[in-house]
Amino acid sequence: MASSANSNPVPKLYKSVIEDVINEVRELFLDEGVDEQVLLELKTLWENKLLQSKAVEGFHTEEQAALQAAQQQQQQQQQVQQVQQVQQVTQPAQAQQVILPPPQQQAPQQQVIVQDSKILQHMSATGMSAAATAAALALPTGVTPYQQLITSQGQILQVVRAANGAQFIIQQPQQQILLQQQMQPGGVQAPVIQQVLTPLQGGLPQQTGVIIQPQQIVLGSGNKVQGNTQVMQAAAMAPQPGQAAAQVQQVQQAQGAAAPQVTTQPQAQQQAQAQPQPQAQQPPMMLQVDGAGDTSSEEDEDEEEEYDEDDEEEKDKDGGEDGQVEEEPLNSGDDVSDEEDQELFDTENVVVCQYDKIHRSKNKWKFHLKDGIMNLNGRDYVFSKAIGDAEW
Amino acid sequence: MAYQLYRNTTLGNSLQESLDELIQTQQITPQLALQVLLQFDKAINTALANRVRNRVNFRGSLNTYRFCDNVWTFVLNDVEFREVTDLVKVDKVKIVACDGKNSGSNAAE
Repeated sequence: MASSANSNPVPKLYKSVIEDVINEVRELFLDEGVDEQVLLELKTLWENKLLQSKAVEGFHTEEQAALQAAQQQQQQQQQVQQVQQVQQVTQPAQAQQVILPPPQQQAPQQQVIVQDSKILQHMSATGMSAAATAAALALPTGVTPYQQLITSQGQILQVVRAANGAQFIIQQPQQQILLQQQMQPGGVQAPVIQQVLTPLQGGLPQQTGVIIQPQQIVLGSGNKVQGNTQVMQAAAMAPQPGQAAAQVQQVQQAQGAAAPQVTTQPQAQQQAQAQPQPQAQQPPMMLQVDGAGDTSSEEDEDEEEEYDEDDEEEKDKDGGEDGQVEEEPLNSGDDVSDEEDQELFDTENVVVCQYDKIHRSKNKWKFHLKDGIMNLNGRDYVFSKAIGDAEW
Repeated sequence: MAYQLYRNTTLGNSLQESLDELIQTQQITPQLALQVLLQFDKAINTALANRVRNRVNFRGSLNTYRFCDNVWTFVLNDVEFREVTDLVKVDKVKIVACDGKNSGSNAAE
């Protein structure tokens, strides 16, 4: 505590504002006949967006983890059926089917055991939820949690970068189970991350989803490993959710056909064989999370190129052979586009405040401002008073 | 009526986005969302006036200035914002300032 002499006032201020607003509008919500649940959802959405923006430091650490744990438990009931189906199907995989980073099959087991005891420490240190921490630790070597994203549904998604540079997105399970490391005889059970490929909406960019499912990792001399990790590929999720869902269903059906039971080892091999087949059809190791150059945009670009060509052909026909096509770019050169360059900024630094006094002498300006919120270089600051000088 | 000035901040925008999502899923009405925003205006104005107590200094060069409807808008370049604890430098900053005198009685927009 002695080190944080000047603590950042922003998180506390924002939290207090949020609390005030939520409490004040509770009556309004009730008057309109809106459920309290909606009010809580508003609060959650609000806080999540603030977290996502990373404009505030240390906004919600342990509280957020507790809130999300509660939320996940609530959402668990809604998605239990899907989870159970996937869980039964995916657990019995025996053949260690790690396609991507070729990890040492034994090393991660030891790592999981050693680090299990540190999960709780890790959780409080980094602010990640316990499930996220355990999942991060359970990953094979060479894979480090790269980024944590939180969707609008409050799920935690981890963007993970493997040793070979590929990026994956791990979706957190809906259930907050297995935190207490259910110790099986001589084994450790890593948290099961469910492959719930619900079409992820909106705010989360995904072109491909690769979901790693740590299975039961059983230690012991000469014991058969009942499954290490399964890496499932689902390419092109966002642009073609329909296809992705279809692919998922194919894979799930393949798994379901193979082994409905939990611990059937020989069938797992069939399952392992069945899995690569639909996966091989998919483009391997889609890297990107967002941006240009993905498969879907190629189709769009083709369409646009065709459209442009059509327009140009029409213009050529209309303009005759006088080279009127060249007039378009000639005229456009007369435009003064100075402002456009300045306004096309992503993080424009903005100060929103009130002025006490603005003074000017020749070209020397003095500003006396108060009660302001600043967003500088992506971060938020506040002030009760600000004094500035500038020369025009 | 309090200034609606602070709606275009991280806090205000995240609230507006959240309200928009709820409207889209038809969980609240637009009228209710507007009421929430009005309440937010009051809360943020009060919080800034009462709960914040720090000073900032800044220096830079003035690129443009505008005074319209009692609102000052400045664009400054190469600015240094100095607080007791730390220093922040930016190439460009826009300052929007409403009249600070009798802020409660002024109509906001």
